[in-house]
Amino acid sequence: MRIKKLLAATATAVAALWLAAAPVAHADQLDDIMKAKKIRIAVAMGIPLFAFVDKEVKATGSDVETARLIAKDMGVELELVEITNAARVPTIQTRKADLLIATLAITPERKKVVDFTIPYATLDIIVAGTEGNAIKGYDDLNGKKIGLTRATVNDSMVTKGAKGAEVVRFEDDATLITAAVSGQLDVVSTQTAVLAAMNEKRPQSPLKVKFVQQELNLGIALPQGEDRLKEWVNTWIKTNFQNGKMNAIFATFHDRDLPQDLLTRQ
Amino acid sequence: MRYNFDFASLQEYWPEFLRGALMTLEMTVIACVLGLVIGVFCAIGRRGKRKWLATLCGAYVEIVRNTPYLIQIFFIFFGLASAGLKLPIFAAAVLTMVFNVGAYTAEIVRAGMDTIHPGQIEAAEALGLSTPQIYWDVILRPSLERVYPSLSGQFVLMMLSSSVTSQISAEELTGVANSVQSESFRSFETFIVVAVLYFAMAMLLKFAFHLFGQAIFPRRRRLGTPL
Repeated sequence: MRIKKLLAATATAVAALWLAAAPVAHADQLDDIMKAKKIRIAVAMGIPLFAFVDKEVKATGSDVETARLIAKDMGVELELVEITNAARVPTIQTRKADLLIATLAITPERKKVVDFTIPYATLDIIVAGTEGNAIKGYDDLNGKKIGLTRATVNDSMVTKGAKGAEVVRFEDDATLITAAVSGQLDVVSTQTAVLAAMNEKRPQSPLKVKFVQQELNLGIALPQGEDRLKEWVNTWIKTNFQNGKMNAIFATFHDRDLPQDLLTRQ
Repeated sequence: MRYNFDFASLQEYWPEFLRGALMTLEMTVIACVLGLVIGVFCAIGRRGKRKWLATLCGAYVEIVRNTPYLIQIFFIFFGLASAGLKLPIFAAAVLTMVFNVGAYTAEIVRAGMDTIHPGQIEAAEALGLSTPQIYWDVILRPSLERVYPSLSGQFVLMMLSSSVTSQISAEELTGVANSVQSESFRSFETFIVVAVLYFAMAMLLKFAFHLFGQAIFPRRRRLGTPL
């Protein structure tokens, strides 16, 4: 009898959750943002130069400043949604945020589940190691321990390319950096900005770039089917790339300019 | 917001889920055995006459029981590496679990020992039993039988908290789940599968502890009553 009651209660709770998540006649996201006067932009914190906390414990970085500029130009309030790397795609899939600006590379796999704008920045991903490690390509990684951040392009490229390597996955770049700084790792697959942050803290034996895995085009991600919002952001990227505002933000943090042909890339 | 469930796309990851679940179980079993040993000695130390030993054991228990497990993991993992001791990931993860579960076990075992009537110990002394004999036959065995249910509960809890070790890159069930969901983009389904697996493993552990208890406590097996 008690079990029956419990089951009934559980069933009701599940049904209630279901209804809560059920389709409410879905309006256009751009209209919703304008009506609420607030845009939710997700950023992955703990990525050097892109999104990090400065000395005054304030979120900053090129991704965060780009988010601020978008909100300002839209004329709405910005709500920063701070997430981890592995939560980037699910956050957009489940519409926990309207946009995602979090060093997310545009890949065919991701395109199946979220929409991307045109590229807004680029990123070199690399394999780096200490002096003593002779590494020229993926084959040389076999039998070695290599650290990287989970759910990144690094993760899928190393997993596919170096089947014999022991891949050590951390949940975010900050933990990966700590692991490298504390001496847990001698070889990492990451991006140049993260590598710089590591070497700053381990001057005695810096990690050197062994080979460049790929230059990635980063896109702003948004839920599928929000074409008006996507069009708005695409226009915004074109305008602000041409008037130099986007490059100004990027160069402030990265010490390099965005590539000239950025807008023509896919 | 409509969500179409698609469990079929997770089928190809089944071997990985299994590998993760096995690693979780492996880590739990090692941690529980070693944790029990540490717990018993720590409980004895805390009750003993040597003041410094009692203080030491007390400090260990209080520190572990009053700090978050995640912080302990980071402290041990990064702390040891900074000190120049590089452990394989598996060993480091198990070490943090032993360190954690040892303290909880110590308190449970100590509580069990406190239930032994002083008169019984005095009687054993009067009969001329040696200290190890008293501890083994008069104190430890009945008290372990008494606290066995809370001990097995604590060990199941440890199995569930082992999910946190994915933070230091241990590829146990939660670590595998995080990788699978980032590759398949089926996070909801992945975590449902993992929740079911954890539930099944917890039930399995409970059943194993029950059988083990029947085997090592003949009194309970024959009478079927709590001590």
